[in-house]
Amino acid sequence: MDYTITSIAPIILLPFFAFVIGAFVVSKSQKLAVGISTAAIIGSFLFSLRVFFDFVFGKYATNYYIHKYFTWFDISSETQEFVVNMGIYFDNMSAVMMLMVTGVGSLIHVFSIFYMKEDKRVGHFFVYMSLFISAMIGLVLSDNLFSLFVFWEIMGFCSYSLIGFYVKAEGAGVASLKAFMTTRMGDVFFLLGILSIWTTIGSVTYVDIYKAIHLGEFNGITALGMPLVTFAGLAIFMGTVGKSAQFPLQVWLPDAMWGPTPCSALIHAATMVSAGVYLSLRIYPLLDAGGLTTIVAYVGAITAFGAATMALVQTDIKAVMAYSTISQLGYMVLGIGVGAWNAAFMHLIAHAIFKAALFLSCGSIIHELHDHHTHSHVQEMTRMGGLRKKMPITFMVMLFCTFAISGVPFFSGFVSKDRILGDALLRATESGTFIPVAILGFSAAFLTAFYMFRMMFLTFFGEPKDKDLYHHTHQEHLSITRNVPLIILATFTLGIFFSGSLTGQGFVKVFPKDHGYEWFQTLIEKPDGKNYLEHKKQLFAFEDVKPELELRHGHYDPNHGMDEHQAHHSHAVHGWGAIMSIIIAFSGIFLSYSVYYKKRFSPDFFVNRVPGYYKALRNKYYFDYFYIDILIQKVLFGLNNLIAFFDMGIYDRYVVDGWEKVNKVCFKIAKRFDDSVIDLGVDFTGFTVKGGSSLLKVVQSGKVQLYFIIAIVVVAGYIATLLYGGI
Amino acid sequence: MHGLLSWILWMPVIGLVGVLLIPKGKDQIVRYFSLVNTIVTMVLSGILYMNFDNTISGIQPHLMERVPWIEQFNIFYYLGVDGLSLPMILLTSLLFFICILSSWTITKSVRAYFALFLMLQASVNGVFMSLDFFLFYVFWEVMLIPMFFLIGIWGGENKEYAAVKFFLYTFFGSILMLVGMVALYYVTSDPTTGLGSFDLIGLKGGQFRHLTVPIFGYELPFNHLFFIFMFIGFAIKVPVFPFHTWLPHAHVQAPTAVSVILAGVLLKMGTYGFLRISFPIFPESTVYFATAIAVLGLINVIYGALCAMAQNDMKKLIAYSSVSHMGFVMLGMSAMTIQGMNGAVLQMFNHGTSTAMMFLLVGILYERSHHRWIVRPDGTKGFGGLYTQLPKYTVVFIIAMFASMGLPGLSGFISEALIFIGMYKVYTTITVLAVIGLLIGAAYLLWMFKRMFYGEVIDSVKGYTDMNGREIFYMLPLCVAVILFGIYPTPVLDMMKASVGDLVRLLGSF
Repeated sequence: MDYTITSIAPIILLPFFAFVIGAFVVSKSQKLAVGISTAAIIGSFLFSLRVFFDFVFGKYATNYYIHKYFTWFDISSETQEFVVNMGIYFDNMSAVMMLMVTGVGSLIHVFSIFYMKEDKRVGHFFVYMSLFISAMIGLVLSDNLFSLFVFWEIMGFCSYSLIGFYVKAEGAGVASLKAFMTTRMGDVFFLLGILSIWTTIGSVTYVDIYKAIHLGEFNGITALGMPLVTFAGLAIFMGTVGKSAQFPLQVWLPDAMWGPTPCSALIHAATMVSAGVYLSLRIYPLLDAGGLTTIVAYVGAITAFGAATMALVQTDIKAVMAYSTISQLGYMVLGIGVGAWNAAFMHLIAHAIFKAALFLSCGSIIHELHDHHTHSHVQEMTRMGGLRKKMPITFMVMLFCTFAISGVPFFSGFVSKDRILGDALLRATESGTFIPVAILGFSAAFLTAFYMFRMMFLTFFGEPKDKDLYHHTHQEHLSITRNVPLIILATFTLGIFFSGSLTGQGFVKVFPKDHGYEWFQTLIEKPDGKNYLEHKKQLFAFEDVKPELELRHGHYDPNHGMDEHQAHHSHAVHGWGAIMSIIIAFSGIFLSYSVYYKKRFSPDFFVNRVPGYYKALRNKYYFDYFYIDILIQKVLFGLNNLIAFFDMGIYDRYVVDGWEKVNKVCFKIAKRFDDSVIDLGVDFTGFTVKGGSSLLKVVQSGKVQLYFIIAIVVVAGYIATLLYGGI
Repeated sequence: MHGLLSWILWMPVIGLVGVLLIPKGKDQIVRYFSLVNTIVTMVLSGILYMNFDNTISGIQPHLMERVPWIEQFNIFYYLGVDGLSLPMILLTSLLFFICILSSWTITKSVRAYFALFLMLQASVNGVFMSLDFFLFYVFWEVMLIPMFFLIGIWGGENKEYAAVKFFLYTFFGSILMLVGMVALYYVTSDPTTGLGSFDLIGLKGGQFRHLTVPIFGYELPFNHLFFIFMFIGFAIKVPVFPFHTWLPHAHVQAPTAVSVILAGVLLKMGTYGFLRISFPIFPESTVYFATAIAVLGLINVIYGALCAMAQNDMKKLIAYSSVSHMGFVMLGMSAMTIQGMNGAVLQMFNHGTSTAMMFLLVGILYERSHHRWIVRPDGTKGFGGLYTQLPKYTVVFIIAMFASMGLPGLSGFISEALIFIGMYKVYTTITVLAVIGLLIGAAYLLWMFKRMFYGEVIDSVKGYTDMNGREIFYMLPLCVAVILFGIYPTPVLDMMKASVGDLVRLLGSF
């Protein structure tokens, strides 16, 4: 059977109904809300799985997509038409993304049952998670930027609510506010970008945008002094910058760790933050046509490197994860900038899996480390150590994920990151502007390996630093809700699921490259307007299903469209890139091993070399200081107070109320009003029953009307004289 | 269905008489009687909605009522509805019903309070239904009387000042409007009979664009001059900067229900005035001054939001947020595109529901705390930990707050999005600046929320009880409205789009 809206709708409807039902039952039964939410996401996952296999590996393959839409609202009048549509656009990329969201989401839901079981508001947590999941699925299904924006904002709301989940903590309140406002900063630009496209081509569906770019419909149109494509691309990319915590709006993500750890895993590692990257992947033709790839690459490179340096000095285990997430998102954005579209998407998926697992492992550790003196959970790595023996399963999972994120061969992170870096290197050999991008990218890879193993050594190896805490920690036994999700996620950090050639293109080919092995590269295509042109007719006839196109079997060719010389060059560069990646990853691990395991030299060795830089790192490069202490506290609040003072203290007081004398007269009149009219007003309602005095009161209350009549007559007469009396 | 409008209009007056006939001291009867009265009005409004024909762009002929009133001056008792007024009438009926319920706790001169409240309802409905300028003006003025007493008697500590300020400000605007009205009457007067016209439908279409007015020897264009007069008259009501300073005073001093009506309905009378009178009668002046209106709207948005952010008094903060949100309405109208204009009318409706929720919530909290300080003047916290103390209240507050700041899925978003879509092409730079309003708009609300709801429960908050059944009952319709019209705005848009399209077409032809 063909895929229609009915095959896909359950994926979003299940979690959405779970949210609606959950919202009503949660105050009665927390457990019921948990059950409904978890069941819904697992059901949603099963539907996604089916769609995934049918799409990506099934009969539809490469160019197949569904585009179906309906009218959300319509304000057309006789002369002008304006319809706002919502719709589903579903292709291989959506299928992969959907599988990741529901799959990782299901596992996190299961883990949350363990993690949140002691919380009094566990049901509320799951209700928000269901709303979040449905919004995320909605975002992936969206066929146009406007409906994507709708779901994007709803996710922002869920993120806000979940960061501030521990409502008794002031810090959680501040963090949630900060997260919402920072991302909204990007969102308002995003909205502007949508408006600029909408008002130019009359539609914001991906397909129409791709086509318009291909056909040059934006040519010659400007907005605020730059070409429209550049303006729109930049504005929409700002959405990515906010949501995916890119430089310079990265400040919110570390604070987002105030939320419960499973929510960090789902929202602030796997899905919502990658939705920003997903957006950039979807609008890639716009970024490309707008000439923005260099900016995108630099933003990504700076983010990847800067966040990695900040991760070096963190002592809170979740903070390390947060900075590492920012850094890895930076890689994805860098990948988009250097044209490694597929690799960036692969990294998105790979990262979602290993980072979710890392966060859940952190949750598993934090949950067990309970300080009996302060009745709080411990997140500081300075109080951990030696946990390998107490938590062997968590340790193994974390080790796998750390290999993946550090770029050790045979793990997913290597496959994707290496391709991004290989393309960065290739661009650097072509153009000098990309040399810093490549350098920053490789340096960040080194730092990543270093700080991730630093975390591993501090947490799991060595002697326990807090003996008391260590002894109170329970020995880990295999439990379904705690460990099974972790083990499943850790399994999928293996590179084999992403690429048959295991180590990336151009180097050590274990399996022959073939359709199916390189599925990520062969079956998911970079959007291109010309692919949609031939189907103009069907689309305008509102066909919901596009007929099958040529099925591209056979080889993935990374050098497609290049001549022999270029292909050879590309091949060589990627080969060198892979070798460099491996060397860099292992040297990072080795350095970490020497410092934190063998303790050949102390970390202070570095700190003492560059104390000023260390301080800057501890202070997050003073971004928070600059944004909060200067821009908000000084500039914005100053402006607010100034304007509010002007409004009431100066304008209202002196200009509106007049100078003091007139003011006093006003009050005298007011007083008289008060004595004569208001007091009567209180009494006058009694007139109907008090026959005798009623006459008098009618007359008196008539005074008000009399005022009006006099005023009206006087003014009317005056005007009449003025206008037609020939004065 | 002739007569239905009159029933809706005069039903509160019947209620008013009824309330006055109830003997003194039977407060509970007064309350129930008023409640039943507003329910009847609401049912009648529902019947009106059922009988409304979406496809007619002008005044609904089968609902219109036109009877001579003062024949010497060609004044008619002329009522009618179209897509611009129907949403406002429905909103009025709903909000008055809710406000009667929220006024349950009033104990000072109950009879007078409810009588004045019903009088207010009648005059507001009158404004939204009148198609005769004179009748419109009468209702417009009559509305001042109950408002003045409601603020002046049942208000806060500085009530006299606020009431007088409100009265004088609006009265000043009314006089300018009156001048415009009289001028229109004179220029349309027939040389033989001497009778002019107050017919708002008949005056439509820019008939006055070639007239001039001799003032002190200068020939001023008639249309521009009186457009400005009427503009100021309505602008004071909206309120448009720089005529907005009565609003914070009035809101802070007014009792909860009056604040709700003030923000929910009365402010919309100003923008409704533009759409019903200024724009259709002087379309060429509207086009001429459109950019100026847009700039004023922009100032409202940004200035209101910046002022709101500096407030430590909850109610004042929300009062300024109304200034900011009404700025969006001005922006949408000034674009004169169908998206902008529909967005503006929808925003009038949506702001009515969301801001009513905010003021009701402030009132509910005030009944427990007897203060409204987010941060007290001495720098200590006014509230803290409300999230833990009042969970139900918090849920409703979150819905109201996010609806107000325009979160997708809640009503404010659709109207703001439409306004922005409508504006972008016409005023790109202003649009780019206006989105800052969205940013600050979220900031002040969330910041207030953070300061009041997060953290440990502070001592003074510990005794507060959560929302009771009555409070939940009257918040529920508004919650449903903001969620429903956020997901499915079609019912409201369908009502208005034909009339709005008509108005846009009229403006577009100049």
